[in-house]
Amino acid sequence: MLKVYGLFLVSGLAVGSLYALAGIGLVILRRSTGFLNFAYGAMAAAAAMVAWQVAEWGAWQPVSWLAALLTGIALSVLYGRLLAPALAWREPAVKAVATLGYMLILLGLMGLLWDDSLRKLSLPTDKIAVTLLGVRVTVTRIIALAVAMAAVVIMILYLDRSRMGLNMRSLADNRDHAALIGIPIVKVETLAWGISGALAGGTGLLFGSLVRLEPTVITFMVIPATAAAIVGRLTSLPMTLVGGLVIGVVEAMLTLYKPLAPLRAMTPFVIAGLMILWMQRSTTLTFATKE
Amino acid sequence: MGRIFSYATLTGLGLLILALIALPLMLGALWIKVLTSAAIFALAAAGVALVYAQLGLINLAQIALIGVGGWIALRLNYATDLPVTLLVLIAGTLTGVIGAIFALPALRMRGLYLALVTLMVAALFQIFFNAFQFPNGGEGFWGVAQKSASEVRRPGFAESDVGYYRYTLIFMAIGFGVIGLHKITAPGRAWAMIRQSEANAMATGVNVTLYKLWAFALSGLLAGTAGALLAGALGQLDARSFLAGEGILLFALAVVGGVFSWVGAIVAGLLYKLLPALFNDLGLSADVAMIIFGAALMHAIMTAPQGIAGQILGAFNRGGSDD
Amino acid sequence: MKLQFTLATGAAALCLSLMSNSAAAEDAKPHCGLNTGQAATGAPIKVGGINGNAPPGDFSGGTDAAAAYFDCVNANGGIHGRPIEYIVENDQWNPELAGQVATKLVKDEEVVALVGNGSVVEMAVNASLYAAEDVMVMASGCAISECYESSHIVSTNQGPLPSGIGALKFAIEELGSTNAACIGFNIPNNGGWACDWMNEYMASKGLQGTSILMDPTAVDLNSVYLQALAEGVDTILLMLPAGPAIGLLKVAEEQGGREMFKWVSPTPLYEPGVGEVLGDYWSEHLYVNIELNQFDSAGPDNQNWVKVMDAFGKDGDRRDTFSQSGYISAKFFVDALLELDADSIDRPTVTKTIQDIVGVKSDLLCDPYYVGIADRHMPNHSGRMVVFKDGGFELVRDCYDIDTNYLEPILAQEAALGLN
Repeated sequence: MLKVYGLFLVSGLAVGSLYALAGIGLVILRRSTGFLNFAYGAMAAAAAMVAWQVAEWGAWQPVSWLAALLTGIALSVLYGRLLAPALAWREPAVKAVATLGYMLILLGLMGLLWDDSLRKLSLPTDKIAVTLLGVRVTVTRIIALAVAMAAVVIMILYLDRSRMGLNMRSLADNRDHAALIGIPIVKVETLAWGISGALAGGTGLLFGSLVRLEPTVITFMVIPATAAAIVGRLTSLPMTLVGGLVIGVVEAMLTLYKPLAPLRAMTPFVIAGLMILWMQRSTTLTFATKE
Repeated sequence: MGRIFSYATLTGLGLLILALIALPLMLGALWIKVLTSAAIFALAAAGVALVYAQLGLINLAQIALIGVGGWIALRLNYATDLPVTLLVLIAGTLTGVIGAIFALPALRMRGLYLALVTLMVAALFQIFFNAFQFPNGGEGFWGVAQKSASEVRRPGFAESDVGYYRYTLIFMAIGFGVIGLHKITAPGRAWAMIRQSEANAMATGVNVTLYKLWAFALSGLLAGTAGALLAGALGQLDARSFLAGEGILLFALAVVGGVFSWVGAIVAGLLYKLLPALFNDLGLSADVAMIIFGAALMHAIMTAPQGIAGQILGAFNRGGSDD
Repeated sequence: MKLQFTLATGAAALCLSLMSNSAAAEDAKPHCGLNTGQAATGAPIKVGGINGNAPPGDFSGGTDAAAAYFDCVNANGGIHGRPIEYIVENDQWNPELAGQVATKLVKDEEVVALVGNGSVVEMAVNASLYAAEDVMVMASGCAISECYESSHIVSTNQGPLPSGIGALKFAIEELGSTNAACIGFNIPNNGGWACDWMNEYMASKGLQGTSILMDPTAVDLNSVYLQALAEGVDTILLMLPAGPAIGLLKVAEEQGGREMFKWVSPTPLYEPGVGEVLGDYWSEHLYVNIELNQFDSAGPDNQNWVKVMDAFGKDGDRRDTFSQSGYISAKFFVDALLELDADSIDRPTVTKTIQDIVGVKSDLLCDPYYVGIADRHMPNHSGRMVVFKDGGFELVRDCYDIDTNYLEPILAQEAALGLN
């Protein structure tokens, strides 16, 4: 029986790292610009579809990966430069709702460009695997976890240690003050959107390969990813990583409990809901806090 | 504010009578069905708009509550012989209570977190509806049989599609009336104070908890009523109508339509149901509608907070908006 | 503009191979209806069709093929001089829209019948409308229980239940399966329905069956695979649409699962594009039940299907099982209509003449096709089995019927109609 738990632990970590990866992308942008980007999944989906299209045209594979990253960056910076500034002084919820609009547009465009047919996005790392507790884990999955962990470490170092990181944090905290003390707002924000877009592109590639290459599937992955981000209170990168992994493991383990097995997909939302309740355990008044 | 029979209200009643009498004479069976759906979702959108306009709270889970209302109505339809109108009212009331229960832990939240909580709820219900489906006349508590749905009753005077369309419109108008009454009486004043500052509202003796719950319950009531009406309109319900993404879309269109007036809710209902049907009829892809919705949402948020309704009403007259 | 490169190339390759096969055939022109070569010019006969084409799937093959065949009939004398006006609607997998477009066709356009319907939602929503309006639907792409258990819908395809049991029967008899897992969506009238009957079938053979159901949005396919592993089954039946089925096969490939289980599937995986997506790994390890005949079979109806699609099909038309099914539905419909006097064609006469169809044959189907008056219809329940091999499919077992209690009422009908 222990062996079976091992199987599902590893499987859960593999899926959890996908939730974590996308959640981390959300949190990074949120910390550096104040936007919770619901269009993140749609950007990732577009990147994955572009990668497929470029490969389909016969390009060398690394070119298609580069195309995915560039698509992510382009879509993200496009929003960050053209649309986000108009909302800069609005409350966070309104900023988030505006990205829903961008999500709908991207979803519609993808529907127009690519009809529903069978597609596959293969990465060379899909074929190489190591065996862990009885489960074969492909290098692609290890990359997903590694990228998530590396993103956490690098972004913590970057946001906490570097000048640009400091600028980003101050900008997200209070745009007016940041502008007042001479932080180059446009430059900093563009960089933040670009980093987030590149992560979206990479996430899209991994999702397209590991989950399914369907625009709607990847687009709505943003909802469970948001659950992981909620575990990290939308600010903590390590907690988001842990949240994603825990969600993945719990979801996988539920497979073993027959009555709940078909409802496993509820896991991210139940955990996020419990997290939110726990976060406000000490509040006694019914007053809504600012956030 | 203050006058019940303002210019806009009277115009609304006039339009209602026109829609009740004239439209069925001019339109084919398809468009009557489409307009019935549009009216049903206008009612639900009015609930979303109420909570957003009065309390500034974002609710992305309205679609789940519509599903709950529809589920209750179908369950009662097969289990009892109660008159249909009573079924609709029971479904609406129970859904209102459920909406308030879900809102209870959310009361201390606002802004982004509340929006996220509602998104999680919508995602939960999507999976739940998929797994348990809607009663279709089968045995047991869930009432799902592997067969085509048994009859869903309609009121005797509204058996036909046209009759049911009129029935729906009247419910919609009553729903708008109830919201309008709230806005100009004690709850409306309480909501306005809460929106300004909860602490101040409490200091002046407003029961903040009660009135916030009340808003959610009212919104849930409208969603539940809409769900029950939808069950009667379609003769059954399918989990695919209640995806979390649809909840997002419904909120988005409520904002596009305009959250401050019943006109906005109607615009939202028409955009949500009539526009895709028109596109489909013209052979245009649904993806085009999606792009338009997205662009309209961003436009509304950035430059037109009153939505399309604000622009319509603004063009109409300056004297008598009813909110 | 849709980018349909895969499909177009797949279809083109298919056509080329078919062309060379049929080089001996004298007649490269399709054969349709009266085959007069004269365009029909009389008063049009309105016929409807509803497909579901939106994410997560394109079910438009049936109406595409029916449209092509009707165009061909119209160019060849029509129905005794009257052309068919074929009105196709898309329900976009949306139950409300499905109800609306059916109302439009049945009430506003007053179609005499519907042909070629392919959808996952439409039949459940509209079954009672069709019965109330007494209009027949000769569907070609059904996937849910309601479609087979309604008085006014008859589908040419088998749907997941017979096709899945057919695949299981093959697995039991030829691959030695004793314990099978049915992996399906957690939707009562789809995965739940079909997998319940799979388990019943396994139990009736004294063998073991288990359902592994998952939410359609689930991303964790790995755990689904591992669940099958933990259950200790020897066979996996993929009761899924092609997209998720391929996702699961990919996970299995990751785990080196080719030899761990016997892999069988109903028809959805029999699609022109599948070979490219699956890759060599699955060659000779994946068995698929097909509801109609092979895309490159040499029978006259299959050959005519190809010719009709070449001559009258549109660029983006899918050439899948639904397409074959839509073609043959349309052909049976036209043949039935030609029995009528051109002036007497209206909904009651068409409904009657469709219900009178008994025992028509085609090389695309294993058994004779029939409609009759009944509260359920499933004329097609015998299939063939193919194995995935070198990027294509190879026939491993020709027409065979299944034995399940589900078919009892169907077989009773067939006996009453003098079939079998």
